[in-house]
Amino acid sequence: MADLTAAAGDGKIVAGAVVAGGVGAGSIQIRALSHVYAGRDGESPALADIDMTVEPGRFVVLVGPSGCGKTSLLMMLAGLRAHSTGFILCGGRPITGPDPNRIGVVFQEANLFPWLTALDNIAFPLALRHVKAAERRGRALEMLRLVRLEAFADRYPHELSGGMRQRVSIARGLVQDPPVLLMDEPFAALDEQTRMAMGDELLRIWSETRKTVVFVTHSLTEAVYLADQVLVMSARPGRIIDRIEVDLPRPRSYATLSAPAFAGLRDRIWHHIRAERA
Amino acid sequence: MSASPAAGRAAMLLARVLLLAGVLLTWELLPRLGAVAPDLLPPFSEVARTLATLLTRAAFLRDIATTALEILASFLIAVPLGAVLGLLIAESPYFARVFDPLLFFLFSIPKSIFLPMFILTLGIGFWQKVGFGCFSTTLLVLLSTQAAVRSVRPEHLLVARSYGATPGQIVLRVYLPSMLPIVLEALRLALIFTFTAVTLAEMYASSTGVGHEIETWGENFMMPQLLAGVLLMSCAAILLNEAIRWAEQRCGTWRT
Repeated sequence: MADLTAAAGDGKIVAGAVVAGGVGAGSIQIRALSHVYAGRDGESPALADIDMTVEPGRFVVLVGPSGCGKTSLLMMLAGLRAHSTGFILCGGRPITGPDPNRIGVVFQEANLFPWLTALDNIAFPLALRHVKAAERRGRALEMLRLVRLEAFADRYPHELSGGMRQRVSIARGLVQDPPVLLMDEPFAALDEQTRMAMGDELLRIWSETRKTVVFVTHSLTEAVYLADQVLVMSARPGRIIDRIEVDLPRPRSYATLSAPAFAGLRDRIWHHIRAERA
Repeated sequence: MSASPAAGRAAMLLARVLLLAGVLLTWELLPRLGAVAPDLLPPFSEVARTLATLLTRAAFLRDIATTALEILASFLIAVPLGAVLGLLIAESPYFARVFDPLLFFLFSIPKSIFLPMFILTLGIGFWQKVGFGCFSTTLLVLLSTQAAVRSVRPEHLLVARSYGATPGQIVLRVYLPSMLPIVLEALRLALIFTFTAVTLAEMYASSTGVGHEIETWGENFMMPQLLAGVLLMSCAAILLNEAIRWAEQRCGTWRT
């Protein structure tokens, strides 16, 4: 009898894993999502009829004019903000709040805690889950190696450069090994040279970890350079007006930027954005 | 001209010691050379001797104990009281808008104006000193706590939330460490505030305490004793100040 229950229990777990595997742990589905802000001057629509599907392991970039709601959409995906209608699935299950086991978030500013060392900042999400100190340290060190900052484990954020801080922030986003990484204009505060280097760094980390990435940016160059697919959003209320497959070969490099296909894709996005800004 | 930080610190320390020695030497020499009347400014060595004698007298030791107890009691009441009130006001934008003008008004007037009221209601004993000490310090702690709460960055709260922190974890792991530097600074100032308030209250009206003795010596022009008392009080103030600053630096390395 006891064996039977245990076997049934195992069966359920296996079935669950099969279902999750079928949809893909890192998959994202957004269906008919709209959001309306209830402001002081009545209701104002922010997002309208967003439909998007991201296959596991893909790199999807959201671009659009300022105020189109791309950051809001990302925050909803992260479970940090509510939406009015529609639904969001991640790994086949709805998003009802922050879930660090499924989703890691990297913000525009690194937002590291100044009172913690680089290592402890990375281990912060694990500390919240009461992971044992030795394991915490081991996994945080592994992440530091991934972002190539192992020499800076005991430095405080103010002792790191802007690019290093953002790499620590990416490591923090990945430390719980979530299948999905959300990035909200992570390189916007960096200078152009650092920004280019960080793009390559991110692509390397992505190719090593094969996470699903949803990346918000203002930069058209950055969008085309990084993405498998670019989703172009309209001005407020934001909707998706174009889905552009970027079939430029990987690994991408500085030479990619001067390829004719690159310019063609960037022009296509710019035409949309210019029309929306007018 | 490049010096290592350690060498720089040593040079700074040396300069400070030399300055102190210079001041004390001048103090010693001025009355001895007749530049200042010894009745007005007794030499440092005489003041130091007087202080040593005072510290052997049971009555004066009792005075020190009384003053220390008054300071401790005021501090222990004022800090939690001010912190709780500050937290309540900081957490409610409504209270903050209502109370802020009154608080800044109270903070900006010299507290000694209110001393007669404390004497009328609490007499001239222990609790009057503690009451006045609390009154002076609570406001400071309250305003500092508000500032500390406001120093918590919303982005840090967002990060903690996105990694699934519970409200308790947010308080422990984000609010507390964010507020710590300002809170420690406030504790240091609070101790100095209670110290001066209690001494002032003792000088104003009292029958015990170091402040009372200083006041009596002053009125009777007993300069060696007066200066010995002042020396003692300033040494105590410096020691307390440095003790908290030391703790502050240990906890606040990131604040550079």
